[in-house]
Amino acid sequence: MSKKAGKLAIGFTLVFGLVATACSSEGSSKEGDQVTITHYTIDSPDRTFVEKLIPDFESKHPNIKIKVTKAPYEQFDSKLQSSIAAKNSPDVTSHWGYGGFMEYYNKGMLMDMTPYLNGLTGADYNIPEDVMNIYKVDGKTYGIPLNSYVTVMLYNKDLFDKVNLPYPPTDYEDKSWTFDKMVENAKKLTVDSKNLSEAQYGVDFGFGERDQRPQYFGADVYSEDTWTNGGKPSEINLTKPNVIEAYKKIYGLIWDQKISPTPAFSKSVSGQFGDPFLSGKIAMSVVGSWSLAASSDFNFKVGVAAVPQGPNEKVRSVLYVDPLFILKDSKHPKEALEWIKYLLTTEVQEKSIELSGGNPPVNQKAAEKYYSNFEGIDPEQIKQVFEGAYKYGFESYNHLISNYSQINDLFINELAVVENGDKKVEEVLPNIEEKLKKLLERVNK
Amino acid sequence: MSGIALAKEQSVKRRKTKVDVPKLIGFIILLAVTVAMIMPLWFMISTSLKTTKEMFVYPPSFIPKYFAWENFKELFTNSEIKFGRQYMNSLIVGIATVIGTVFSSSFVAFGFARYRARGSNFFFILVLSTLMLPYPAIMIPQFLLFTKLGLHDSLLPLILPSFFASAYMIFLLKQFFSTLPNELYDAGRIDGCKEIRLYWTLTLPLSGPVLATVAIFSFLWSWNDLLTPVLYLDSQENFTLPIGMAAMLSSKFRIAPWNLMMAASLLSVLPVVALFAIAQKRFVEGIVLTGIK
Repeated sequence: MSKKAGKLAIGFTLVFGLVATACSSEGSSKEGDQVTITHYTIDSPDRTFVEKLIPDFESKHPNIKIKVTKAPYEQFDSKLQSSIAAKNSPDVTSHWGYGGFMEYYNKGMLMDMTPYLNGLTGADYNIPEDVMNIYKVDGKTYGIPLNSYVTVMLYNKDLFDKVNLPYPPTDYEDKSWTFDKMVENAKKLTVDSKNLSEAQYGVDFGFGERDQRPQYFGADVYSEDTWTNGGKPSEINLTKPNVIEAYKKIYGLIWDQKISPTPAFSKSVSGQFGDPFLSGKIAMSVVGSWSLAASSDFNFKVGVAAVPQGPNEKVRSVLYVDPLFILKDSKHPKEALEWIKYLLTTEVQEKSIELSGGNPPVNQKAAEKYYSNFEGIDPEQIKQVFEGAYKYGFESYNHLISNYSQINDLFINELAVVENGDKKVEEVLPNIEEKLKKLLERVNK
Repeated sequence: MSGIALAKEQSVKRRKTKVDVPKLIGFIILLAVTVAMIMPLWFMISTSLKTTKEMFVYPPSFIPKYFAWENFKELFTNSEIKFGRQYMNSLIVGIATVIGTVFSSSFVAFGFARYRARGSNFFFILVLSTLMLPYPAIMIPQFLLFTKLGLHDSLLPLILPSFFASAYMIFLLKQFFSTLPNELYDAGRIDGCKEIRLYWTLTLPLSGPVLATVAIFSFLWSWNDLLTPVLYLDSQENFTLPIGMAAMLSSKFRIAPWNLMMAASLLSVLPVVALFAIAQKRFVEGIVLTGIK
């Protein structure tokens, strides 16, 4: 019996031995007055490249150590929330998950950086002042921009060549490049066929999220005060005639004009890859500029153009500015700011373009280098498109409206019946307005 | 004699010429189902061997034009992916979880199955009621506990809970243990066995099927778990396979490397297949037995 008990004991020792050796890498080092800053980010190469910048930073700031923690995109928010609840929150992060700036701000997660800025202005890092202002509330700074994406039009040069159509212009001031002209072009580029391998569509109008699209047509879903009162709309305009008209125009591209792909078509040609443009069956695609980063992987020649002039003279592009925040529980905001400032310098921003595989820097001096980063596309054209997009851009709603992830889900779910062609816009919108009002009442109490 | 031979010959002839229609239909249905089941697996293998450009070809090619074996090589050589390391971590956590679950749960189940005490039913129900608690309900308290213990960013928070038994497994094992005849235990006691030995030399060897079931379930759960590792693990050296693979797709700004992802999926299925192959006989037996009783 003792023999067996001995075996049991050995068994357990082995188990715990295995466990102990497997996990001996624990160790939070703190030497003397050295300070460790945690930088929390999405676990994907276009974000985790900051790890490569650490050695240089640490050699310049011997008293600061940087530790990078990360989570996959889908789990980004849940890990952040539980870290904060466990008083183990990172020092520096951004709204890289589903939540937006206003969500973080309203939950009281962000530190007011103003006392540590010591007169820092956007100009010190070649950041346009109006981009800096996005993350100011009541004159206090809660975030500093790092990357800025815009809306662009990508087009498939091969399809244009096939029907001998001139390429769309890159100049935002070219007033002949209008929405109607785009529709006209799209008609020539569409091959309406039941056969999937022949079918081809003229344009995929993916301007912003669903509730931001009417803005392009000069209609606002939310009342004006949303932009000044902390992202809480007091009124919803979904049943106003101009908003209904806008949605009719957007979904008319699919169902009346038949020049845009149906969701079913997009799904079947792009399958798991998400964007139907990649399949080479869409001639023009209005998308976020991040799609550019993959341009060298496309099976066709790609060009970049201005988003055509729509009924709204002022807004033709959605700006997606990614800032860096210092979280409220940070014990070393001064050192955290040092790290942020380092990431904004022209030299580091230039380096980041290559390391990240094409993240657009917010530092306008570094941006020059970004424009020449795309194989087969003329840097001058990209520059022109980006500058035009900044000029006619409006900040993405998810950065500005409180509880945006829930609002966006509502729009996606409710508008699906319109996108699938089962219902008309005017039948669905009043319903969405009701639901949205209830949602806002609940979350903005 | 010759009459019988003739009849035999005729029947052979008839068998040769007559087509068994219901059987044929059955065969065709089975074939169709088989193809339908194999297709996703086939596309997984085929995508894992495609180049990035070929991934976007429409209609998708059934067999890759060029077999990109380097996808597999890249998994192990690309320093940003660290696939080998994550594979090891997942194996360590998986194996340790199996050992922990099997021993702790069977120990507790043994107690519930073989001894009667005042309130033991109450405690059993209490244990079972923990099944109703969803993980998010205990997520943050447990996170706090392990962080306070200084175990954050190590594999221990993923392994240790399994050493404190799981309600589901206790239930499964207890049901099985209860069916073992009392006479066996009486005989054991007469031969001078202490209680712990009744557990170790009598109960466990007799419970092969149910232990195999518990082992497979706990390994699968640990192997597929994503949320717990995401919460606890910070440094890439400690990541498990699900985090690593989720990270491959996690960028919203980039085309996902589906070919690498499929190669990784293919490799990640191997331990599960191996475990099934080893435990299959006992596993099937186990389900049948526990199902009947």
